[in-house]
Amino acid sequence: METPENDPKINRRKFIANGARASVLIGIGGLAALVAKKTIAGQTVWQLDPAKCIQCGRCATNCVLTPSAVKCVHVYAMCGYCDLCGGYFKPETKTLTTGAENQLCPTNAIKRKFVEDPFFEYTIDEPLCIGCGKCVKGCGAFGNGSLQLQIRHNICVRCNQCSIARSCPADAFSRVPANQPYLLKESGQEENNNKK
Amino acid sequence: MNRKIILAGALILLLTVIVLMGWDLFFGSQGNQENPYAYDLKSLKPGDTLQVMYEETQQILPGFSVIHGIATDKSGQIYIAGDNGVEVLDSTGKRLARFALEETGRCIATGSNGLIYIGIQDHIEVYSKAGKRLNKWKSPGDITIITSVAVSGDHVFVADAGNKIVYHYLSDGQLLKQIGQKDPEKGIPGFVIPSPYFDLGIGKKGELWVVNPGRHTFEQYDQDGEMITSWGKATMAMEGFCGCCNPSHFAILSDGSFVTSEKGIERIKVYRQNGDFACVVATPDMFTEGTTGLDLAVDSRDRILVLDPDKNQIRIFTEKKKN
Repeated sequence: METPENDPKINRRKFIANGARASVLIGIGGLAALVAKKTIAGQTVWQLDPAKCIQCGRCATNCVLTPSAVKCVHVYAMCGYCDLCGGYFKPETKTLTTGAENQLCPTNAIKRKFVEDPFFEYTIDEPLCIGCGKCVKGCGAFGNGSLQLQIRHNICVRCNQCSIARSCPADAFSRVPANQPYLLKESGQEENNNKK
Repeated sequence: MNRKIILAGALILLLTVIVLMGWDLFFGSQGNQENPYAYDLKSLKPGDTLQVMYEETQQILPGFSVIHGIATDKSGQIYIAGDNGVEVLDSTGKRLARFALEETGRCIATGSNGLIYIGIQDHIEVYSKAGKRLNKWKSPGDITIITSVAVSGDHVFVADAGNKIVYHYLSDGQLLKQIGQKDPEKGIPGFVIPSPYFDLGIGKKGELWVVNPGRHTFEQYDQDGEMITSWGKATMAMEGFCGCCNPSHFAILSDGSFVTSEKGIERIKVYRQNGDFACVVATPDMFTEGTTGLDLAVDSRDRILVLDPDKNQIRIFTEKKKN
């Protein structure tokens, strides 16, 4: 004897009902994802424009965080990998070695690594970087400007009114879309928009 | 009575505090805040020096919005490559001719045959003085950035900053050889070009001089492309070349001395034939901070012509004792 559960007609009904439920769920899920995406796209975060930055030092002193959420970012595509790096060495350094007395960075946050004669690679040790911009100034004046200051969004606490922006004399801070949170000069733009 | 006085005092105190807070908030010392991490570049750019032996005697305003390259010929005429064109001027700056280019010339040179050689990104174009294109040849290499051209008789030398090499052509564009290509087996270290500034020129005796900017040196090459000698040193001081890669441009005076320009510390200087520092032509305070691309030429009277892209001028410097 056939029970209602075994009745193929009832099963078909069940199948259609389940299908309808699934469609509704998928629709709601899709709509939620779309709304979330649009919401994120509409959000903005603070960022500083390296083209306007004058390396005044206030990024290091005026952030609510210590050390600052502003860090030096190295745009490798622009770097000349110079032996005598204007962002790494103090002017008139007698020997091009990694001795602390030779380094421009007050916190030893730039690491110099030999690649091949006469090229060296420079990397930023972010936890040590205080965002003072000394290296940025040196690199911009004597090199290709591959060292640039940026707010690192994995550190920034997203104050409604950024305290550095309020004191920036160059008006270099602005709100940018959260899905494109970095503003880097020239060839580094694409490379660094991919940073999280 | 006492209570009223205390209340009034407290009120005045409160108002004072509010006023001070408001003053600090809106007119505080932020504008004058000292930078504890200041990097004073101005101290590296002394303007007042007794070593200045030249003075600026004339400025020429080219008819271009952007200028890139300058050259002179034996008659003293001046050739300027700017946005999509070339201007020919007489020695006083009066325009004699102007012709258009399909693209912007980045560097320019003249030959003894009266022809004009223009470097345009990845190729060379040759023009008559009337502006007729006579020849064109593409430079080999994938990432060609032609930054300088020099002509010696029937030989044309081209500096390619992208491929870090000098090409030696005949005047018809036939490639004779490549100079300075890195070859560890032969002990050739190659040119070090961190940025697109790579100049070359012809010396008093027709010899080829090439700047190796990453090593802050001038290098002389013979007809076979072998390096004969070099000179130069890296220092912020006046007697050397500053920054990562300098000098950016040079020209050669009639006695074989070198006129050099630098970026970073914007200055023009003269070095003797043996590479010893001779004197200063122009100090950093004469240029806008951050100016790059100060191309140089020397005319038949040994006046130094400086192409200043920031001021969009050709600035002419004359030795003081000759005035």
